[in-house]
Amino acid sequence: MSKTSENPQTKHLVGRRAWRPAWPARPDRVLHRRRYFGTKRSVLKLSGQFNPKTLKREVVLTDKKPMFWLFGLFLLVAIPTAVGSERFLSLFGIICIYASINVMWTLIMGTAGLQSFATLATVGVGSYGAAYLSITFGLPWPLMLLVGLVLGIAMGFLISLPARRLDGLYYALLTLGLSEFCRNFVTQNEALGGKFNGALFGSARIVPSDMMTTRLGQTLAFLTTFIVLLVALAVFRWMNGGRIGLLLKTAATSKEDEAFASAIGIDWQRARMIVFMVASGVLGALGAFYSTYIGGTSLQIFSLDLLLLMLAMIVIGGLGRAEGAVIGTVIVVGITQWFTDWGPWRIVLAGALALLSVLYTRNGLFGLKEQMREIRTRRQALHRAAQTTKYAEFLPQQAPDIHDKSIIAGRTFERELREKLRGWITPEIIEEHRRSPLGQHSDHLERILNYFRKGPLPDKYAVYTEVPFQSYRVVALSGMPGVPPRIVDDKTYGSLDEAYHAVFMRRINDLKAS
Amino acid sequence: MATISITGYTDKVSYAPGDTVNFQVSVDNALQAQVEVVRLIHGDEHPEGPGFIEEVIPSTLSGSHAVTKQFVDDGNAVVVEDPRNLLGLTDSFTIYSFVFPTMPANGRQVLLGRYALNENAGYALGIDGHSRLAFWVADGKDSDEIASEIPLVHHTWYFVAVSFDAKSGKTVLHQQAVVNPYNGRLGRVAPFDHTSTVEQKLRVKPTVATSPFYWGAATNAAAMRGTFRDFKYNGKIDRSGIVGRALSLDEMKALADSGGVIADPLVFWDTTDGYGPDGIDDMVRDQGPNGLHGMGIQRPVRAMTGYNWSGKHDDWRVAHGEYGGIAFHDDAVMDCEWDDTFSWTIPAGTRSGAYAARVTVGEVEDHVPFFIRPTKATAPILYLMPTNSYLAYANEMIVHHVPVGQAILAHAAVLTEKEADYYQDPKYGRSTYDHWADGAGVCYTSWKRPILNIRPKWRSSAIGTTWQFPRDLSTIAWLENKNYAYDVATDHDLAANPDLLEDYKVVLTGSHPEYWSEQGLNDLEDYVAGGGRLMYLGGNGFYWVVSYREGQPEFMEVRKGEAGMRAWQAEPGEYYHQTSAEKGGIWRNRARPPQKLTGVGFTTQGFDECHPYKRMPDSYHKSVAWIFDGVEGEVFGDFGLALGGAAGLETERYDLELGTPPHTKLLASSTSWSDNYAGVVEEILFNHPGTLGTQSDTVRADMTYFTAANDGAVFSTGSIAWMSALPSFDFENNVSQIMKNVLDAFQKPGSLPGGAWNQEEKSWT
Repeated sequence: MSKTSENPQTKHLVGRRAWRPAWPARPDRVLHRRRYFGTKRSVLKLSGQFNPKTLKREVVLTDKKPMFWLFGLFLLVAIPTAVGSERFLSLFGIICIYASINVMWTLIMGTAGLQSFATLATVGVGSYGAAYLSITFGLPWPLMLLVGLVLGIAMGFLISLPARRLDGLYYALLTLGLSEFCRNFVTQNEALGGKFNGALFGSARIVPSDMMTTRLGQTLAFLTTFIVLLVALAVFRWMNGGRIGLLLKTAATSKEDEAFASAIGIDWQRARMIVFMVASGVLGALGAFYSTYIGGTSLQIFSLDLLLLMLAMIVIGGLGRAEGAVIGTVIVVGITQWFTDWGPWRIVLAGALALLSVLYTRNGLFGLKEQMREIRTRRQALHRAAQTTKYAEFLPQQAPDIHDKSIIAGRTFERELREKLRGWITPEIIEEHRRSPLGQHSDHLERILNYFRKGPLPDKYAVYTEVPFQSYRVVALSGMPGVPPRIVDDKTYGSLDEAYHAVFMRRINDLKAS
Repeated sequence: MATISITGYTDKVSYAPGDTVNFQVSVDNALQAQVEVVRLIHGDEHPEGPGFIEEVIPSTLSGSHAVTKQFVDDGNAVVVEDPRNLLGLTDSFTIYSFVFPTMPANGRQVLLGRYALNENAGYALGIDGHSRLAFWVADGKDSDEIASEIPLVHHTWYFVAVSFDAKSGKTVLHQQAVVNPYNGRLGRVAPFDHTSTVEQKLRVKPTVATSPFYWGAATNAAAMRGTFRDFKYNGKIDRSGIVGRALSLDEMKALADSGGVIADPLVFWDTTDGYGPDGIDDMVRDQGPNGLHGMGIQRPVRAMTGYNWSGKHDDWRVAHGEYGGIAFHDDAVMDCEWDDTFSWTIPAGTRSGAYAARVTVGEVEDHVPFFIRPTKATAPILYLMPTNSYLAYANEMIVHHVPVGQAILAHAAVLTEKEADYYQDPKYGRSTYDHWADGAGVCYTSWKRPILNIRPKWRSSAIGTTWQFPRDLSTIAWLENKNYAYDVATDHDLAANPDLLEDYKVVLTGSHPEYWSEQGLNDLEDYVAGGGRLMYLGGNGFYWVVSYREGQPEFMEVRKGEAGMRAWQAEPGEYYHQTSAEKGGIWRNRARPPQKLTGVGFTTQGFDECHPYKRMPDSYHKSVAWIFDGVEGEVFGDFGLALGGAAGLETERYDLELGTPPHTKLLASSTSWSDNYAGVVEEILFNHPGTLGTQSDTVRADMTYFTAANDGAVFSTGSIAWMSALPSFDFENNVSQIMKNVLDAFQKPGSLPGGAWNQEEKSWT
């Protein structure tokens, strides 16, 4: 009997060449590990490893994020500065401002886990407050930022109050209502430009308005927005990547997590409030900055369509990630501001992108990598399942995942053994076992039993004593310390011999089934 | 609903009347428990026997007692007493060590340090969550770390060191492997390059933790539990030290060559210091100027090969300088150190026996066992219960971690609720049939912890019958049933009082007295040689070498060597006991096969069936025929609570080449067994398909009898299952009859029956 004839699988070569950056290690040298200023994070997260294929030392970049950030931020500042046109500079300025707002919103929605839609309301309050005070009392721009910050924190405090009682949808609705309330408040308030449909202009600017006609002024104005984005990102990193973010991750996803976090002594309510207040303060200051950037403010800031557009930005990029917030903003603002001649269709396009993102990605653009990996694993598993069975010989593509190669040789042996044993299962043998599960049996039965008894521990059958000498059940061992045996069915047996036979029959069925 | 669980232990194995028994009990989810002292009489619930029998002893303990949950601080460590706070390091320093991690991927572990997780304070050299060597400092608010460039490879010796400059925060972490052809799992051909030196500025300066300085652990705390050891290490640690300044990299590298010796150490622990003619204690000696000696916790294993093991000697007694390895296991338990829950002073006149505190809360019950020995002999009969062997099997869990277990035992495992629960969290340590978490064989076992299987009613999951203690109670029930006057004592009593046996006419063994110290074996041999009479009522006895340290009879050492039916084998070079300097392994390989003492020795084991004996021609000789008075037919013992026969499980064989006295009579034998009964491995030189029961004549059980000087004699049944046949048919059966014939003759002073029939036979037929 030729063995290859039983094995219809076509075997093909596997293997992959090195492509990712891996530097040779220098064990003879001292590795000086440097860190970013003021933090404990080392510059470029390089880690040494032994290449599992060669055991050679190599150094790999385990965290490529910082590289991408540097590169991305460089493009963000370099493109508009290099092009230098007013359109480019103002477009990227808006991108930076929206991105900053979105990053803070991400902090609230992702890190703190609060479904708050009062983001623009907070920005608006900072913006109107600062603009109003600047126009009325001639406040200079640095004080405007301070006023925005204070107003933002006050808003944060106000909005956080109901968060202790309200959850999810109800809280989202409440905060949405707050935005609408702010809009109405402005419309009906003459001091805030209610007469002019909320337009309130004439506040101080960081870059004076006469300079804004020059390329230098426009560039400077853009650069201020870029700096604001850097500040927002720094706050995000400080909150999300710091101890508070770590605490909140424990309570992040469900009520059970919250209960667990409380049980191990994490005051997640307090941590959540701190994050919320900090983010709100920054949002207020961002509002004030917006006023200093355009020299005033307008009702558009409270508008629902802007809010929804910003939601689209976050959704497209991927909720909970700063990079998602930034890239989402670039995409959506790019579409809506660049293709202005498309009219309303550009909004439809942004909406469609957001919809696609919700429908087909698990977590936006930046969740795609992980999603792709899972899809690949699933496809690989399906493909292999179609190619092979539980006791078939391993395929060449499976071998690299099996550290202990003796498992592979063992499988080859076991496959042949099982086939032989299957041929020996007869009613006579089963009856022989039923009559006497223990003791010397006929040669074939004895060999079948030996195979069963030698099997690996995971899912190995055993007998469980419910009442000694009265009631037994069949269980399967976990094979893992700490994991209890699992009861396989609801049958009970009146004697040990019956239970032994029940175990035997299960094993016979498993052998036949393969 | 919360589940109530009860367990406990006593502070000693055995007590005399007048002694106070301290019970350490833990009860989960109840505050009061009912307690009675009971004498245990029968422990096998098999329906063909009398079932569980206990006798309640009126005692001062009787009644309700306050109980509480108690925790176990498991895992090995070495603690350094440091009254002058010399190791509360806050200035510059260097720590170095030779280490052999066995589970570097098992999460954060401390090698050497004084670190309190609950205070976030201190410093430690350890292994991080990515298998890398790391050094941590913490100041009560914040912590910082430096890690090596590459992961540590398990079962490999490393020299590791860290120098910390407190002023600048400059920290240099260095590791290099010490690989020779002998000392690790891998040889030099595996192309690993283990050298790594990392320099980094740490932003935190350590403050002094309230934790002591530990090898192999940090301190942590939890609300109910209080402080406990955490970040426990698995692996070996050899010579280590601390220098009170930040050494340069070259100075650190020089330490790797000098074996850790430096001119100005703050402390230098030489782990090879302290070996003596009787082994080595738990103290880790500081050879530096300050005498900061360390003390092992939960008995770390010493007499282990060190980083510099050359492979030339396999014995620390010849080359102790190469035996600096101390093995740490994070799941080792030698002493639960529980508080006393209640105590009982045994009234004078209390009879000897196997006792227990029966602790109950509602339906839930546990028997916390202990033994009472007689103050002086009260009867001619002594039942010597094999407590060494009970300890060897204490909390045995073979079926859960040995894949071929069911093949060895020929059964699907038969679990009970208690065992299934325990396996989820084996917090009371393991038996010498198990492995520690890192795969090393368990070579220490202890009484000072709850032991699931030294309990009446317990049935071995491996076999589905009783094993050891609960089986041995069948002999007590039989002695009671037959109204013999007898005393009970244990291996531990014999160890404490070598003259114990002298006052008795006859000594009965347990069913499986497998583990013997040299002294115990000598005492028993002296007893028989001096005219004592031994009834060896078991199988696979007098087999493994064990030792205890003076003054610590609750902690037993076993090293399983290169032969014997063994659950594990000591690593090369680690066969010699830490507590006695003896070679571990089977007595047979130390020229004391069991046959020399009892006439029979271990020959096979199997667990699918037990069998009857058949009388052999010798049994009709008038010198021994009295043993079979009242026994009808050729076959006896075809019944019993252990798989239906008196011969089986683990059995023994007469063998002149192994020292059976030449005048020994082969009374009976049981043969033709199944293939599950395999010949013992120490007799297999070349393995071949003929060593199993259906094809091998050495697979059998022999019953023998021989006389010794001064009216001494030895009667051996050669089978573990023998004892379980006694209770069948209400103790009225031919096994019981044979026991009675022998015991009646043995307990009488004077000459033995049959002694006159000592001349050459002149038979015409």
